[in-house]
Amino acid sequence: MDEAQRQVALMRALAGAPADGLRERGARAARGLEAYRANAEASAERALAAVFGTVQAMVGRDDFRHLAREFWSAHPPQRGDLGEWGAAFPAWLASHPAMAPWPYLGDSARLDVALHRNERAADAALDAASLSLLESGDPARLRLELMPGSALIRSAWPIATIHRAHALEGDEAERAFEGVRDAIAAERGEDMLVVRQGWRAVVVPLSQPEARWTEALLAGADLASALDRAGAGFDFAAWLQAAIRNDWMKGVAVSND
Amino acid sequence: MAAAGDARLADVGIGLRQPHYAELLRTTPPLAFVEVHSENFFADGGAALAVLQQARSSYAVSLHGVGLGLGSAVGLDPWHLDRLLRLADRIDPVRVSDHACFARAEGRGGVVHANDLLPIAFSEASLAVMATNVSQVQDRLRRPLLVENLSSYVSFADDAMSEPEFFARLCRGTGCGMLLDVNNLMVNALNADAPDPVAACCAFVDALPAGIVGEIHVAGYCETGEIVIDDHGSRVRPAVWAVCAHALRRFGALPVLVEWDTDVPALGVLLAEAAHAATLHG
Repeated sequence: MDEAQRQVALMRALAGAPADGLRERGARAARGLEAYRANAEASAERALAAVFGTVQAMVGRDDFRHLAREFWSAHPPQRGDLGEWGAAFPAWLASHPAMAPWPYLGDSARLDVALHRNERAADAALDAASLSLLESGDPARLRLELMPGSALIRSAWPIATIHRAHALEGDEAERAFEGVRDAIAAERGEDMLVVRQGWRAVVVPLSQPEARWTEALLAGADLASALDRAGAGFDFAAWLQAAIRNDWMKGVAVSND
Repeated sequence: MAAAGDARLADVGIGLRQPHYAELLRTTPPLAFVEVHSENFFADGGAALAVLQQARSSYAVSLHGVGLGLGSAVGLDPWHLDRLLRLADRIDPVRVSDHACFARAEGRGGVVHANDLLPIAFSEASLAVMATNVSQVQDRLRRPLLVENLSSYVSFADDAMSEPEFFARLCRGTGCGMLLDVNNLMVNALNADAPDPVAACCAFVDALPAGIVGEIHVAGYCETGEIVIDDHGSRVRPAVWAVCAHALRRFGALPVLVEWDTDVPALGVLLAEAAHAATLHG
């Protein structure tokens, strides 16, 4: 048998098609195939749970396990590093009919994956010397670069509040979940920046001007354009101070174009 | 005879796993090397990679892959190979290894990755696929690869050669070495209802040419009643230690890795297993 065909056939058998060409027969073959299936299901759940902790907490372990199996079948991994798998999960979850009563799940998953990616992003340090460009350079030719892995999440739902509540315990969590219920009922949207603090990714709530500013920076806009996009309510001096203090910024670069 | 109190356990290592990161780096027990699953360190940066780099300052590191899918007839994933090369350049490992399995195949919408160690046939065509892929990895890494025998829960009816012959020819043809997992031999022997599993495993060891094995793995397995699963979740069984000792007698004092990947115990338990492995070096 051609090896490529043999391997496709075994993969299909693991997905439920009849097995062909195996030495093992009957119950013995079934047990063997089931061992691989069980391993795949465990891998799917473990890999997604490592990324989508907030989603898992919201839907519960049992439902999350079923979702993981379903997603594995619908969007099987293409890489041999499961840390890279799951990028399609937020959109898949958002369009899942059974998840319709919880319309914020998809955006919560987007936040989870942004946090995961941030913690895998390249390490970097602030190029402090580049800050002097802010005094001497032409704002139309300068770009402020955020740290690798920085991400902006803009949502029509209070997903930063939801995420924070799931990180708390006891009375604090109880109070936080009251706030979550109120915010969901009010359909209060939230914007946030995902950045690394030490080795951990954290969520920084943003005002709308800060969100517009961050969006412009992440899109590669020059300083002048980014300030213009941020609008009148944006305090650049305060943001810069916070960005330096909290390691949000990698440095200032001069555009060559 | 080596013992736990020796300056460094005679060429014995353990898997570096997340629950032990802090304690291992703080106490630096006298191990010859630590092993990691390469794919867990493919990220561009982050805490895990920093831990590995710190561990490297105290230990030799063996990069053990689970995702190349060396037997995949559709070929290797260039992305995977790039990441492995980058990691090897960062860590300067003492050994690089992966498995004699396939993982990639055409699926719905393109090539998919099973993220499992799926069995290959022991055929001429399969040997050709493996040899091509192993050579590709070795050319990129500029170093020989060790290829591990599987525990497999199904096999193919039309195998044309024995597994030891397959490995002998693979190693001869590509210059790679073999990573002999004696627990996998035992799991396969038990699942095949071998009347004397230890004898079956020792016969496999004896059928391998001298000089091709570069590392030995030992681990625990679990019995469900219906099938034996290679779960790396318990102490090494006495019968597996017996096969390990036999292999060391046959091949000489090779590096031995104690694997423990599920239900990871206290570091002390793992170190006791490593100390036992060291006694087998004689």
